[in-house]
Amino acid sequence: MFGHAPDDGDESDETESSCGCEAGSGESDGSAESRSTSEVRSDGGEPSDERRPTSELCSDGGIDADVPGDPGSAGGAGSHPSSDDEFEPVQVFPDSTEQDLRPGADSCYKCSTCDTNCPVAEVDDEFPGPKFQGPEQWRLSRDDAPEIDDSIDKCSNCMRCDHACPTDVPLSQMHNTARGRYVDDQLSKLSIQYLRKKILSNYGRLGRLGSLFPRTTNFVMGNRAVRWITDRTLGITDEREFPEFATQTFRSWWDERGGAQVQSEDRRVAYFHGDYANYNTPEVGKALVRVFESFGYEVAVPRQRCSGTPMFANGMLDDARRAATVNVTEFDALIEEGYDVVCSCTSCSMALRQEYPELFDIDGTERVAANTYDAVEYLRIHEDLREELADAETDADDELPDLAYHAPCHARNQGLAEQALEVGDAVEGVDVDDVGDSCSGISGTYGWKSKHYDTSMAIGDEMFDHMEDSEAETGMTECPTCAMQMEHGTGYDVRHTLELLEATLVGEGEAW
Amino acid sequence: MESNTGALVIGGGSTGTGVARDLAMRGVDVTLVEKGNLTHGTTGRMHGLLHSGGRYAVSDQPSAVECIEENRILRDIASHCVEETGGLFVKRPEDTEEYFETKLEGCQECGIPTEVLSGAEAREMEPYLAQDVDRAIRVPDGAIDPFRLCVANAESATNHGARIETHAEVVDLLVDEPAGTDEAAVVGAEIRHESGTGSRTHGEQTEIETIYADHVINAAGAWAGQLGDLAGVDVAVQPAKGAMTVTNVRQVDTVINRCRPKGDADILVPHETTAILGTTDEAVDDPEHYPEEQREVDLLFEQLTDLVPILEDARTLRTFWGVRPLYEPPGTGTQDTGDITRDFFLLDHADRDGVTGFTSIVGGKFTTYRAMAEEISDHVCDRLGVSADCRTADVPLPGSESPGRLDDAMDRYGLRSPIARRSAERLGSKTEAVLGTDEPNPVVCECEAVTRAELQNAIESAGSDLNDVRIRTRASMGNCQGGICAHRMAAELSPEYESPTVRAAHDELLQERWKGERHALWGEQLAQAALNYALHATTMNLDRDPARTDDDPEYAAFDTGPPGHTAGTGDTTAAADGGRPTGSRSADEEGHDGD
Ligand SMILES: Cc1cc2nc3c(=O)[nH]c(=O)nc-3n(C[C@H](O)[C@H](O)[C@H](O)COP(=O)(O)OP(=O)(O)OC[C@H]3O[C@@H](n4cnc5c(N)ncnc54)[C@H](O)[C@@H]3O)c2cc1C
Ligand code: SF4
Ligand code: SF4
Repeated sequence: MFGHAPDDGDESDETESSCGCEAGSGESDGSAESRSTSEVRSDGGEPSDERRPTSELCSDGGIDADVPGDPGSAGGAGSHPSSDDEFEPVQVFPDSTEQDLRPGADSCYKCSTCDTNCPVAEVDDEFPGPKFQGPEQWRLSRDDAPEIDDSIDKCSNCMRCDHACPTDVPLSQMHNTARGRYVDDQLSKLSIQYLRKKILSNYGRLGRLGSLFPRTTNFVMGNRAVRWITDRTLGITDEREFPEFATQTFRSWWDERGGAQVQSEDRRVAYFHGDYANYNTPEVGKALVRVFESFGYEVAVPRQRCSGTPMFANGMLDDARRAATVNVTEFDALIEEGYDVVCSCTSCSMALRQEYPELFDIDGTERVAANTYDAVEYLRIHEDLREELADAETDADDELPDLAYHAPCHARNQGLAEQALEVGDAVEGVDVDDVGDSCSGISGTYGWKSKHYDTSMAIGDEMFDHMEDSEAETGMTECPTCAMQMEHGTGYDVRHTLELLEATLVGEGEAW
Repeated sequence: MESNTGALVIGGGSTGTGVARDLAMRGVDVTLVEKGNLTHGTTGRMHGLLHSGGRYAVSDQPSAVECIEENRILRDIASHCVEETGGLFVKRPEDTEEYFETKLEGCQECGIPTEVLSGAEAREMEPYLAQDVDRAIRVPDGAIDPFRLCVANAESATNHGARIETHAEVVDLLVDEPAGTDEAAVVGAEIRHESGTGSRTHGEQTEIETIYADHVINAAGAWAGQLGDLAGVDVAVQPAKGAMTVTNVRQVDTVINRCRPKGDADILVPHETTAILGTTDEAVDDPEHYPEEQREVDLLFEQLTDLVPILEDARTLRTFWGVRPLYEPPGTGTQDTGDITRDFFLLDHADRDGVTGFTSIVGGKFTTYRAMAEEISDHVCDRLGVSADCRTADVPLPGSESPGRLDDAMDRYGLRSPIARRSAERLGSKTEAVLGTDEPNPVVCECEAVTRAELQNAIESAGSDLNDVRIRTRASMGNCQGGICAHRMAAELSPEYESPTVRAAHDELLQERWKGERHALWGEQLAQAALNYALHATTMNLDRDPARTDDDPEYAAFDTGPPGHTAGTGDTTAAADGGRPTGSRSADEEGHDGD
């Protein structure tokens, strides 16, 4: 047994039984007084806001009254120096997900940039858009009437708004928290909507089941009759094929190969694979391991649970908190030992880096956030990736097809929208086409709901068109659900950027 | 123009509208005149605290008792104007235990319900309270919207036959002095209707009206001295100004008071979507022209951040000043305005000065306006020989007859939940009548969630006066301060009102918004002002619209269009839209660009 692979190798540990045992841990420190230490976007560079003295203005002065413009003229300038522009939301009740985010609305000046960037608002006139959903709704809210408008359910959590806002309004934090409140307060725990959210957001459970009997599950899930029933009863669309479960999970492959094959004192990464790479696309996880090992990294694969992304998107904040607690605890311990965290899914890295610190107050959250990277990003920082790719022995020209690349919204939010293009550019003989900056429209579990299916496909239209226009006949992206959507809309085979690296640098992996 | 009335009430603040309602309900023929909008004076520039009496429980117990009594009555008869927030008297480590105990006893003596909370309990209620607050007394303070309250009083008075005239200034009092006697009687007043009588329309002709009245009531607040002068009597009102700053969001949902002897800048009141920091207390000479100083604003923050530290970083929307109509009975000789009593005085000029038909009312508090009105009305009825009982403590105001129906408001009116809830809170029992429209009902003011139907309803009473529409609905009082909605509000006046009227109303609203904004222009609100300016300049050409300035447009300064395009073929055209082919729009077209 090498590195920090789970010592028992039993995956059931990470999913089911773990919920019970950490329920009480890690959260009990949240008291009324403890403030969540939100440090996200501390670079938000608003100019300092010293109050400007306006001495002796006459009370009935009009618009062109002599507003003195000299900031140094009277007492008071700088007498209220503001440390920085951030507000710290407070946890309103101990052990709860209720946060008072009203002060977050202070930064909004209603420019509507968020609305014009929202893919759902663009295709759905019924959706009021992020400006209403975020700052306006929060500003209008009261502590005793935490009503959240139903339309929150239409937000796909793509977080484009969050990225677009010029003044750092914490939109995603507002949406996630509002969704949590909405599900807690307004959805009856027995309703179909609640059940659907529960099923879609706890993918790991389904995944574990699917992997125990992959062939049966694939058969059952692929069965049209079963899909028709899930559509009618649970509102999970029958337009989509359920993702196939792999016959061997990533983790069991990892155990079978005996864990890490490379040891290193100073080059260590802990891999956050998440549920999808484990159960459905183990080839992506394998690619990551082989690529990192080829650079001499020791890879650890600690115990972990779902990143929580689908739970945020479905308002299941309690479930998400439980999962996050396991992840933060496990990965923080490894960071202590010199590991950095790498993810293959951009939504997972987004969760660890931004959503955890915005939503939870778990010990170590900040440190995990600061030491988490997207896998390709990590290599670009620490290795001369272009050079390595250019010098690669493999003859990509013969083996590898041209690729139509879609940057997931969550990659865009982390500033990673361009990296796959640069990587592709360095691989000789492969053309990587950017299919534009539109949203794929699936946003995790969003496009799985029957009621959102049409919206999801309407949003995806632009991407599908661009994929069709591209010479390439194979897709590439870093997000598993974007990949599903790309496949669903075009019928193309869709691969992961790590697989391109693997094929070029290691020459192994699944056939292209 | 001439008319007669039983009682003429001067002043459309809480006192005047309260008296008008009371008298009208007793069957007296009432006319109320107000030189601006309703609440134009101090009432529209106060802190919005519905006192529990806790503040006066040590220094002025009779006032405290009156406050708690009126507080209970208003929760009942004015439920749609009151938010039952509760209040806390918060003790910091440096505030004395003795005072805390004295305050607690004082409240108990005055019948004000109290509950003592530990620092932790207080913070559980109000998470943004300072960490070192060590104890607090909970009292039934509340928040009250003065605009809605006065409008409701005026509406009730009208329903009982009263005539309410705004933008109607008393320019003279008619004093009858029979020759050869030293008696005098006020018999009426000369009124200047700025834009005609009835609801306001900008640009209407000014009219002068003589109103003869059996009794004239001077409820002009800080201006009462000026009206006294017109009747030749001395009313020694000492105006004292106080500053208040409005934040963008509510940092607290409970009224926060500092538990120490009455001082400046020690109250934070949650008000509708905002919180208001206040206040200061300084004598001024003229209730209308006084300096508004930055140091006063600084003091508010300096003091109140000790209680609620997050205020340090809070976005502020505006700062405004109000003047208290303090009255000092002759010979008291109090120096500090803080020591002048907050009690009110009824000056019977017949007894006091030998001038009959004239009563002045000065001093007092907003919270106790109804009790004041009752006492004055008793007095006036006595003089007029009317015997009828006061019913204002029992009959709810229009809008407060029953709580706003929230339950199905959303579905029935097709509004999103926070919008439906805010609308119902403002409209109270009128929710159904106002929102139940078959017309499309978009949200016009996004910050405060005000829909077209509510605006149209306000316009019915306010005429083209958008400031009046504003105080009735809160439209344009949110974080953009009208930047995004002022022109939409103006557009609601069309087609009922002509373009010049709409423009004048729009300008006036923007001026009024700017007046308060300029004292809080830093940080985010400065960015907002810059964005507003850019939007207004680029979409409506508001900064230099040739149609308003009479300057000849410099056509040469405009884009000549794409290369090869012959510019200037049409001689009246300017491509103000960024180089569209010429001829598409002429400079004298005055359409407002919608959005
Ligand atoms: C800073 C500050 C904060 C306050 N906070 C609170 C509080 O939190 N709670 C509370 O209970 N009380 C508070 N008060 C006290 C309260 O606001 C006043 O006592 C109350 O509003 C006075 O109302 P009024 O109707 O007597 O006067 P006003 O509202 O001033 O009404 C007088 C009206 O007369 C009109 N007028 C004047 N001259 C003429 C004329 N010639 N012709 C026609 N009309 C004329 C004016 O335009 C004005 O509208 C506060 C006061 C101040 C200054
Ligand atoms: S982009 Fe940001 S500032 Fe602009 S409206 Fe949206 S939340 Fe407000
Ligand atoms: S997260 Fe995406 S879908 Fe949701 S409001 Fe923001 S931009 Fe729109």
